[in-house]
Amino acid sequence: MTRDDGRMRMTVLGGYLGSGKTTWLRHQLHHGQFKDALVIVNEVAETPVDAAILGDVPNLVVLAGGCVCCEAQRELVHLLRDVCDARSGFDSSDERLQRIVLETSGLADPRPIVEAVRNDSVLVHHIVVSEIIVAVDALHALEQLRSERLGRAQMEVADRLVVTKIDAAQPGVTRLLATLRRLNPGAVISGSARGSVVSLPACDDADPEPMPELSDEAAKSPIFATKLLLDTSIDWTAFSVWLSALLHARGDDVLRVKGVARTPAGRMLLQSVRKTVQSPEILPEQDERMDNVMVVIGRGYCAEDLRRSLQYFATAERT
Amino acid sequence: MCASCGYPAAPGHWTDAGATDPGDRIRARFRRAQVLNAVLRPYGLTAHDGGLIPGLQIATLSGSQTIVDDLDGVWVAAERLAGGAVDPLDARFVRTGSEAP
Repeated sequence: MTRDDGRMRMTVLGGYLGSGKTTWLRHQLHHGQFKDALVIVNEVAETPVDAAILGDVPNLVVLAGGCVCCEAQRELVHLLRDVCDARSGFDSSDERLQRIVLETSGLADPRPIVEAVRNDSVLVHHIVVSEIIVAVDALHALEQLRSERLGRAQMEVADRLVVTKIDAAQPGVTRLLATLRRLNPGAVISGSARGSVVSLPACDDADPEPMPELSDEAAKSPIFATKLLLDTSIDWTAFSVWLSALLHARGDDVLRVKGVARTPAGRMLLQSVRKTVQSPEILPEQDERMDNVMVVIGRGYCAEDLRRSLQYFATAERT
Repeated sequence: MCASCGYPAAPGHWTDAGATDPGDRIRARFRRAQVLNAVLRPYGLTAHDGGLIPGLQIATLSGSQTIVDDLDGVWVAAERLAGGAVDPLDARFVRTGSEAP
């Protein structure tokens, strides 16, 4: 397949919840990679937090409220068809959009997305999936490979595996690298720390992790997203007490928390993966619609219980 | 790190990030202790932060106490002193008003 067949190249960027997809993409965009590309960001939750992280990307479309590999696949196909329609209006190849980057949600299997593009009678003439890049969380990937069918499927299908958070995971990362080489021998593996390229340690001596057959039990209960509104009754301090307690007690079920909170210090981006909370980041003043909303993605609890519990923490002493 | 008291034991905890100036920091510390007291009381524990020395004091009603650096330390200490994890999704925290005793 050559570039001059006239079709747009699509890069699918996948990876499990909190694996560092958006951080990596933000860094690439900042350094001029994927220049002039249309960036499509998909999120399971209705409130798109990743758009706030990416900031002022000129050509950004957000598909929120469903995963594009399953429930929101029709929306993705419609969006891509519209993009193809608009592109067909330009005669000169110089003016035409050449590249699309699709950042999937952390719950997406890239395979159905590629199939959806290939099987669509319009899209197949306009778009070719040129690369599947999967972000691999150096801190949590071995656990995901052992217990999560989806995490394993994402890593198996990648053309390129970007092992993120290398700086936080040394030296245990060699075992992960050896495991990835066995799981997906064809993939190019690179390292990354906060989006910057980091060289990988040699892993020739490391033993790969044995991969047990995943039973249905491993699929466990479904993972779902809950939106928490931090209204005026919930202050940042009470929220941080509540979240730290929740992650301590339920860190294996609460897979991902992300959102932008208004604090006395300004707009703050908060992200966690299981029990690990990333250092919060103060964001520039921007569109306020996304503020004071936290998205909690996990399983094994009831969404309403989260809201009630948070309310209890925030108001107990005042009543 | 302070050579006398060993504080801070690690670079800033994420829960401290919302307050940057001294006034906000002290307000956040008092509010944190207030919320913790409400949450820990049913477990027979109290939290105290006088605002003068670093760290939080967690104590049982019988008087044994410990000083912790941050909220992660609070939950570890509470688990040890109360004999079980403080789970925010425990029934006592998720009851609606009508169900409350």
